[in-house]
Amino acid sequence: MELYQLTAWELFEKMAAKECSAEEITQSVLRRIDQKEGDVQAYLTLNKEASLAQARAVDQKRASNEALSPLAGIPIGIKDNICTKGVKTTCASKILSEFVPPYNATVMDKLDATDCVYLGKLNMDEFAMGSSTENSFFQKTHNPHNIKYVPGGSSGGSAAAVSAGEAVLALGSDTGGSIRQPSAYCGTVGLKPTYGTVSRYGLVAFASSLDQIGPIGRSVKDVALLYSAICGKDEKDTTSIRREYPDFAKGIVPSVKGMTIGLSDEYFGEGVSDEVKTAVMKAVDALKEQGANVVSVSLPSTDQTLAAYYIIASAEASSNLARFDGVKYGYRTKEYTTLEEMYEKTRSEGFGDEVKRRIMLGTYVLSSGYYDAYYKKAKFTQKMIQDAFQTAFGCCDLILTPTAPDTAFQIGENIHDQVKMYMNDILTVTVNIAGLPALSVPCGFDKKGLPIGLQMIGPKFSEGVLFNAAACYEELLGGFSAFSALK
Amino acid sequence: MEMDLKRLAKLSRLRFTEEEEKKFQGQMEQIVKMVEKLPDLDASGPLIDPNSPMEMRKDVAEKKFNRDELLKNAPQVQAGCVVVPKVVEE
Amino acid sequence: MSKEYVTVIGLEVHAELNTQSKIYCSCKNSFGAEVNTQCCPVCMGMPGTLPTLNEQVVASAVKMGYALNCTINPVSKQDRKNYFYPDLPKAYQISQFDIPLCENGYVDIWVDGKEKRIGVTRIHIEEDAGKLIHDNSFAGSLVDFNRCGVPLIEIVSEPDLRSSKEAKAYLDTIKSIVQYIDVSDAKMQEGSIRCDINVSVMEKGSDTFGTRVEMKNVNTFSGAVRAIEYEAARQIAILEQGGTIEQETRRWDDQKGQNFLLRSKEDAHDYRYFPEPDLQTIVLEESYLSQIKDSIPELPNKKFVRYLTDYDLPEDDASLLVASVEKSTFFETMVAFGDVKPKSISNWILGDISRIMNETGKALADLEIDAKGLDALLLMIDENKISNSAGKTVFEEMLKTKASPEEIVKEKGLLQISNSDAL
Repeated sequence: MELYQLTAWELFEKMAAKECSAEEITQSVLRRIDQKEGDVQAYLTLNKEASLAQARAVDQKRASNEALSPLAGIPIGIKDNICTKGVKTTCASKILSEFVPPYNATVMDKLDATDCVYLGKLNMDEFAMGSSTENSFFQKTHNPHNIKYVPGGSSGGSAAAVSAGEAVLALGSDTGGSIRQPSAYCGTVGLKPTYGTVSRYGLVAFASSLDQIGPIGRSVKDVALLYSAICGKDEKDTTSIRREYPDFAKGIVPSVKGMTIGLSDEYFGEGVSDEVKTAVMKAVDALKEQGANVVSVSLPSTDQTLAAYYIIASAEASSNLARFDGVKYGYRTKEYTTLEEMYEKTRSEGFGDEVKRRIMLGTYVLSSGYYDAYYKKAKFTQKMIQDAFQTAFGCCDLILTPTAPDTAFQIGENIHDQVKMYMNDILTVTVNIAGLPALSVPCGFDKKGLPIGLQMIGPKFSEGVLFNAAACYEELLGGFSAFSALK
Repeated sequence: MEMDLKRLAKLSRLRFTEEEEKKFQGQMEQIVKMVEKLPDLDASGPLIDPNSPMEMRKDVAEKKFNRDELLKNAPQVQAGCVVVPKVVEE
Repeated sequence: MSKEYVTVIGLEVHAELNTQSKIYCSCKNSFGAEVNTQCCPVCMGMPGTLPTLNEQVVASAVKMGYALNCTINPVSKQDRKNYFYPDLPKAYQISQFDIPLCENGYVDIWVDGKEKRIGVTRIHIEEDAGKLIHDNSFAGSLVDFNRCGVPLIEIVSEPDLRSSKEAKAYLDTIKSIVQYIDVSDAKMQEGSIRCDINVSVMEKGSDTFGTRVEMKNVNTFSGAVRAIEYEAARQIAILEQGGTIEQETRRWDDQKGQNFLLRSKEDAHDYRYFPEPDLQTIVLEESYLSQIKDSIPELPNKKFVRYLTDYDLPEDDASLLVASVEKSTFFETMVAFGDVKPKSISNWILGDISRIMNETGKALADLEIDAKGLDALLLMIDENKISNSAGKTVFEEMLKTKASPEEIVKEKGLLQISNSDAL
């Protein structure tokens, strides 16, 4: 067993028992990166020297008996839309290709306090818009289970790196499924936290009312550990929520006894592959055997939800991305005479096609004469969806669905059909629209050997319940690490 | 379907070649068809949520950044300012 | 034979609030600093940064709302107004669209010897933009972001004003109120109070407004008068020639004394307003609101009318006294003794006291005038015990020695002969 194959919690115990050093762990992961990165291409920026120096500093602290966080010395990768002071933050876009923020995202300040080790910045779909990481300006990330396949997106770099052992943990961001869908495709555990529990300060905004940073790991406990480190009220983000945040990793009780699981036909519909349905139902049966009850719940149509999602997300994106105009930072076109020419050429050369489509859609749904029919109606639809979930959670503790309708697709397969690509999000966007927490955990492989994801959705602030249920299922399967591409 | 791509491009400060315009027009029409599947519901009244009151910031001034680090990412700087093509002030 | 026309004017006044920090970040709110030294990633619109609302901005806007007799919306929100311009780093301005903090108010102005009530449609909060610097020595324009995020209130009037004179009176009244309740310095030379003007004309006797034209870039109140007169004349000339007025936005050039087309109706911006998702709802408690309401002092426009009616002061005296909080306060202290005619008190404050304040550069409070002593002095003058010119000497001596007027009069032998036996 190599160190890079272990979970954060296992590594923490080993370090605590002085069986290995933080430097050895980072070295092991860096060697793994050298070995796999050519195929996977998860990283946009790698800080080998800096990460080793950080690891050595942790070892020194431990040697002098300083109290350390369980994350101290754990090598972590960061999605490249999270601002890292002094380290390039590109959002995988040409327009930010040379951007070095003079400030940290709040989550980075929080992670600094844990003494974890930063390996580098991870690839993604440009501005987190996409479901395959093919929309990166720089490179395509490959699914470590089969490099012909996409890792999912938009946090494809994060999930692929964790799955391949190129990072022990990673931060991703989830606006419509961007943590959960790549987790499903790569066989990792990914949490989209309750909206407002993790500060968005320093997360380059895609859709402000839906974006949430979250952890990706190879075990439930690891994900809980990283979530505990980053959650909490932040004065710099007025949408972050003031409340008590427990130590989630410590609090895990792997059990579903007495829990009620809700299932909705709407989430097992036409587009969902038989293999995925079968695997998810098998998981439901397994949890039933562990003492869970299963009830049927009624949820709004996924088509309507997807429509509301694309309207709201694109509207906010069109406004959020207007600041990339070549004036203050980022790329500026080389030849121009007037201001308008500078704006238009900078943005047309700086953004990829998918980003342009979303900006155009967002501009359209907000424009004079269309606002009421699209944006406003979508916001009322959102309210209806939120109410429907509240009703559903009146009779169940969590809702189980597939994370994605199918397993990973081949690179290039969906690139010319946007609507087909958007359908990848049909089971995940609801959670963002309703502001709820959801976990994606592995629940088997398809016959191509690609992982299948199970999504667990809970009411607001129910992360603890999701961790308990997921940990119970993890025990049944003998650990989720087996679904990663660690071999 | 009445999407005026030229106007939207102008509003978004994007420009397309004729070929791109054709491609985007088709794609955007497909996407709009997808987002038109909203339910038929009453969408009157203001968009406001009185149940999420905001905590406000105390009025205290602080200085944390210097000009050089703030302008380090700017494409063109002169005399401590960002430079843009000449514009007539509105 | 030319017809008679009525000018219809509505004003949008922008006043910068005198808070310590900016509206959405903790940068200092100050004027005149070296370029780009009062900014941070938030007000420069850097990726990933988020706004946080300054509570004092809300308090000041609500205060102004009460001062202008508005209804305060206890639940309101902020919206994004989207447009591209180099002085707007986020490419949207955070403002308020359909639910402003304050609505449906009014203010009474004084024109031609009587009060006129002008409707106030709304007051909302928003952020100021930066500044563009143009200089022929540069190939382009320079952007200074210092002013980005300086808090503004926008006060929108109903189209109730009918002449440039009324507009000027309205602007002066608004300015004196913001200064009186201490929410803005309202320094025109620093651009901390500015306005956009909507002008239309209609035939006298008509009750249908004409098409309105919006004028921007009006930076002084005297400029506003010129701009209104110019625009009304321009519109009347068009109508007289059988033309029609286009709904458009024009830019006032005060140096040239003319305005120029900025954009026609077809080119009007599509601002794509939508609720700001980075900020939550502004919810104001009733107790908070009533506390602010109770803090509003008597306002200068009301005080002015009271001085005319209660004290029989001439308009000039009343407006000069009201223009200064300390002079009007001192005036009322003196009047309260009930010994001397208000007009005599006013003469002293606006005459000798103001002169001494100017000469010494001191505030009234710093002169440490003994109000009771001054009252005694004025009474002696009123009763012809001493002459007016002797009174001036006594007053100067009082300021110097802090002695009572009676002592000074006695010491200097200033009693007028006819009354010497009275002392």
